[in-house]
Amino acid sequence: MTTDEGIKYDRSLLGVEHPIGTFSVTREMIVGFARSTGETDEKYIGSPDGTGDVVAPSTICNIFVNGVSRPDISLEFGDLSFFAGQSIECKSEIKPGDTLSATTRLEEVYAKTGRSGKMVFSVWRTTFTNQKDDTVALVNESFVRRNRSK
Amino acid sequence: MNTNIVYFEDVELGDDIGPITRTVESDQVLEFVSLREPDPKPSRFTSEAAAKEEGLPNAIVPGAMNIALMSQILTDWSPTVCLKKIDVVFRGMVPHEKPLTFSGIVTDKDDSGNSTDLECDIVMENQEGVRLVIGHAEFALPSKP
Repeated sequence: MTTDEGIKYDRSLLGVEHPIGTFSVTREMIVGFARSTGETDEKYIGSPDGTGDVVAPSTICNIFVNGVSRPDISLEFGDLSFFAGQSIECKSEIKPGDTLSATTRLEEVYAKTGRSGKMVFSVWRTTFTNQKDDTVALVNESFVRRNRSK
Repeated sequence: MNTNIVYFEDVELGDDIGPITRTVESDQVLEFVSLREPDPKPSRFTSEAAAKEEGLPNAIVPGAMNIALMSQILTDWSPTVCLKKIDVVFRGMVPHEKPLTFSGIVTDKDDSGNSTDLECDIVMENQEGVRLVIGHAEFALPSKP
């Protein structure tokens, strides 16, 4: 069972879009991301002589959401935080030269009780659009707070 | 890179995808972290000492990197895969320098004739068979010409 009753946090943040930045996508960035994650397909890493057109792997937006600072929701629960899960919807191809703008919003906060006790999840949804105003990716991130085991 | 061409008609419910095995090297994690922060400070992702200070047994692979690795179950399966959505849950810490096995199973196929969409469950396991990351993906394959 999930619920948000009784969870203390700043509810005024729910559904409010916050700009988190504008990001230029370079060939070097795409190839670096692809290589660091073990991609071997030349459509992502280019040809062995360092040339050739590339497109970004579908999950590249993670470079930009990783470590971004979001508004503090002032959640009054737990003393231990984890990155619980993530989803990425790939809407359109991302290429070198693209400029991506991102906004994020607090989608929901809910509690769940598991074997290790009560946990509170906060879910943020980040939307990336390119310079043509096309949505290229939607990223949902779920963070969990719980109390340390005694 | 796998050059095996897979078409929508080749796939049945319950088909296995993969497995593939990967080992994430510490240098790869450093390269990944450096994409966002060119001169990263030691952290649980890049430093054994920093990880141990946080009570972890060793440095771990960032969640943001794990989802990229998970997507490769599909993109490595066939260059014809068009990934539409990937959804993962992090269940355990993913270590550096240890073999990881990725696999999937086809769970849904749109036989209505309106699309060539499919869905699958995906999993990353360590050498002991412990599920470190689980998830679900939606993708499309082209029809046979």
